[in-house]
Formats: sequence, structure tokens, C-alpha cells
Amino acid sequence: MKPIGLEKSNRMSDAKAQLQSPGKSAEAMKDKVVIRDLNFFYGPSIALKEVSLPLHEGKVTAFIGPSGCGKSTLLRVLNRMYDLYPNQRAEGEVLLDGENILAPDLDVNLLRARVGMVFQKPTPFPMSVYDNIAFGMRLYEKLSKSEMDERVESALRRSALWGEVKDKLSANGLSLSGGQQQRLCIARTVAISPEVILLDEPCSALDPISTAKVEELIDELSSDYTIAIVTHNMQQAARVSQFTAFMYLGEMVEFDETSKVFTSPRDKRTQDYITGRFG
Amino acid sequence: MADLYPGRKRRNIVWTWLAYAATAFGLSWLVLILGALFWNGFGGLSLDVFTKMTAPPGVAGGLLNSIVGSLIQTAIGLAIAAPLGILAGTYLAEYGRYARIAYVIRFINDILLSAPSIVVGLFIYQFCVVPFGHFSGYAGGIALAVIATPIIVRTTEDMLNLVPNTLREAASALGMPRSLVIRHVAYRAVRSGIMTGILLAIARMTGETAPLIFTALGNSLFVVDPRGPMSSLPLIIYEFARSPYPEQQKLAWTGALIVTLAVLTLSITARVLSASRGADK
Repeated sequence: MKPIGLEKSNRMSDAKAQLQSPGKSAEAMKDKVVIRDLNFFYGPSIALKEVSLPLHEGKVTAFIGPSGCGKSTLLRVLNRMYDLYPNQRAEGEVLLDGENILAPDLDVNLLRARVGMVFQKPTPFPMSVYDNIAFGMRLYEKLSKSEMDERVESALRRSALWGEVKDKLSANGLSLSGGQQQRLCIARTVAISPEVILLDEPCSALDPISTAKVEELIDELSSDYTIAIVTHNMQQAARVSQFTAFMYLGEMVEFDETSKVFTSPRDKRTQDYITGRFG
Repeated sequence: MADLYPGRKRRNIVWTWLAYAATAFGLSWLVLILGALFWNGFGGLSLDVFTKMTAPPGVAGGLLNSIVGSLIQTAIGLAIAAPLGILAGTYLAEYGRYARIAYVIRFINDILLSAPSIVVGLFIYQFCVVPFGHFSGYAGGIALAVIATPIIVRTTEDMLNLVPNTLREAASALGMPRSLVIRHVAYRAVRSGIMTGILLAIARMTGETAPLIFTALGNSLFVVDPRGPMSSLPLIIYEFARSPYPEQQKLAWTGALIVTLAVLTLSITARVLSASRGADK
């Protein structure tokens, strides 16, 4: 298998094509990511069992389920974050634009440039707000000062943070509030123009107002990016996603359009979970 | 229950006072040592101390060659120990965290950390003095490096272990290779902590005598070339303190005061640095 390059697909036109045919069924949509028969192990214990599902291009897919069901694990497979730790391994296939990202010869750093991730806890780097954004870009491009200024500004604008930080770009990223830090992390991820964005409970450490801002942001970003979000909050899943995957004990129980999962779930366990009977 | 209470309260008071008394006992020795140093050494502090060489008895002298010798040998020690210690600490915390060999290295490093410094001196004598046929400032510096390296390894590893994995993951999630994550994110997050370790290592080297006796030997002439025998403050203190001549004894006190003040300054700077680490978070 040849290593995955940095070529980007033309997602804007794809998104437009989808807009022109809103009545299309899920099967007709382009699958950005296809997960097939994925098993995941922490040492000897299995955390994901034969998981299969697609992530549709230009859509938000929510992973829901009780704690320990494997939804974060699944997310961490999609950018091979688990590679940082020994004794964690994945079996099966995860295709990104048709290429298996689990292939051992794949350059994980190039993969992670295409599949960005935002974490549960805001993790600004110990440097200025400006450098937090510029840092990632410097890895891939040589930009002049003015180009860089522009790109930093546009990344911050996209993340609805520009107005709040434009006068303190040289302040330490850690000096921002929790909600601002999280939007800074999203801005940092968006700045390197990934194709897929993974959000691992991005609002669980935030207050309701910051949560609303981040959700709004997800909504805006979803026109350009394929997004997967792990959330404990079912209302949030219902608000931000078009597709929902319900996971339980490492298995993918149900995957469908969000409206269907929440109004007419096919599986008894899904119904029990969304009606609050467990979890 | 009510009849247990008075006894418990009494024991509490006794323990509290025992703790206070032990602290006061320990502190009083520190105060006595510092007091004696100032009392005996402060009077000898003059321009001569910093401008004149150590002299034979009966001739007015200073400590210039010893001070310069100390600086040079500490610099040599630091030039070896800092990169080695930081890189080894980085290996232990970042690359070898789950490797079996790292446990072995950590264990050996801890032994080295508490190795008697005279043994280090003898070891370097065998390897850096005997083959060349003469004592040298280089040998002294290398011996000091052996003392300092385990300190820097340990503090660097401890500091890097404080960097949350979430921060490493966040940097990796941007597609940053491991070495960049370490250099630009992890080091930056604990920069002052690593600096603190280096300062403590310098403080330790400044005060060491035993590793220098068999390596640098000492020299009453002014030399800046570390290829030959070299003086240093701890050595001259050791030598002059045993001298029968009062003016040399006085210089020994002054030298001791200078070393102590230098170490104290480094330690306080290290404290301030590590305290401000919390502030810039």
C-alpha cells in the first residue's frame, strides 16, 4: 500500500453537490471514511468488536453510548492516536478516501494532518495565542509574516475567537478562559486545513455559554469538513449531528440518521439508552 | 468516647511540639553554620581576594586562581553534564517510558546519584589522570560532570513526567513528529523546571571537593588552561583550613563564605524559578 499523501479532495464541490440533492439516501452519499470489521485491543482486552460504519463526507456523525463503550477508542483509531502507546492495536480496515490508514507503512504524521483532533480538556500549547495557531502551519508551509498573520486571523475568525483575542495575540494561550482555550484548539486544528475533524467530548469541560458557542462552530464547520464527535450529552448529539452511532460494550449497536436514532430506534438497547434507562 | 478525647488531645500537643522542636534543632545548626561563616569570613572579603593569587605563608594573597579554576571546571562539568543529562532524561521520560531497559537505567542513575564523590574522583583518576601522566582541570571537570549528570537526568525526567499526555497527544494530533513535540511543546511546558535541575547541579558541583583531589589536584599559579593541574575554591579551603598560618586560615573562611553564597544564590534562584512555574500556567 502506498503511503497516503497530502492531496485534498475537492470537498467544497462535493458539499455543493449534496446540497443540490437533499433527498438522497445515506447510501448515495460519499463516504469520507469507511470503518470495516474493526477490532481494537488494549493489551489482551478487547475494546471494539467488529465495528463497521461510514463517516459521510461533509456531515457530522455523533458517537454516543455509556462510559466505556469504546466511542473515544473508536475516535482515536481514526487518526492512529493509539500509536503513541505500546500494547494498543487495531485490526480490520479503516479507509480514508479508499486508503487503509491502519497500514503499518502509513506515515501517521501525514495522516494526522488530514485528520485533526480536538480533545476533551482544552490543551493550548505553552506559547502565545498567535503561536498556538501558527505552530501547526509552520510544520507544513513556509509562509511570510504577512501571509501567516492573515492565516492566523482567518483561523481565529472561523473559530469565532478573533473578536475576543485580537488584542492579546501575544498573551499566553493558557491565560484564556476554558471556553476560549477550547475554541483556540479548534482554530489550531482548522488552521492546517484537515479533511476530517475528530472531536472527543469537546464541551464536557465547558460552561453552557461556551458549549453553545462551540456547537455553533461545529455547525458552521460541518459545511467544509467531515466531523466525528464523541459526546455524553444526547441533546448535544441531537443538536449538532446528522448521523448518530450508538455504541454499547465495544459494539456498534445502531447507526443511522440522527433523527431516526432518536425518534424510532431499531434496537432495544438504543431505545433504553436514549430514554435514560441506563448509562 | 468522651474519656478518650483528653488523652488524644494531649498526644496531639506532644507530637506538635516534638515536630516544632526537631525543626528548630535542625534550623539552629544551619543558622550557626551561616553565622560562623559570616563571622570568620566576612572580614576577609576584600578586593585582594578577587584580584590576587593564592600565596605562600607570609605573603598577602587572594583567591583569584581558585575562583577562576572553580568557574572553569564547573563550566567543563556543565558542558558535559547538561546535554547528556537532558538527553538521557528525555529518553527515560519520552522514548523509553515503557521500555524495560529504562527501568535499569533509572536504577543505575539513582545509584550514581548517591555514589560517594571520593569514589567518582578515584574512578576519573584511573581513566583521565593515570593515562596522561598528570593531573588536569579537564579531569576535574569530568569528575564534576559525573556528579552532576545523574542530578540533571533525574530532574529532567521528573519534569517531563509532569507534562500531561493530553498535551503530547494534542501536539501529535497536528501531525507533529515526536522530536518536535518534545522540543517545542514538552520542553517549553517545563522549561523552568529543567533549568532548576541544572542550577541545582551547578550548585552541587561548586561545592564538591572530593572528586577534585585526585583529578585537578590544585595549583597555586594562575592558569586558565585546563590541560594542567588547576586550583578551585573547595580545594583551597581544604588546603588552607589545615594550614598553621592564620592568614591562610582566614582566606579559607573567606573562600568558604564565597562558595556558600554562590550555592545559596543558585538554590534561591532555582526556588524562585520553580515557584514562578506555577504562575505562568
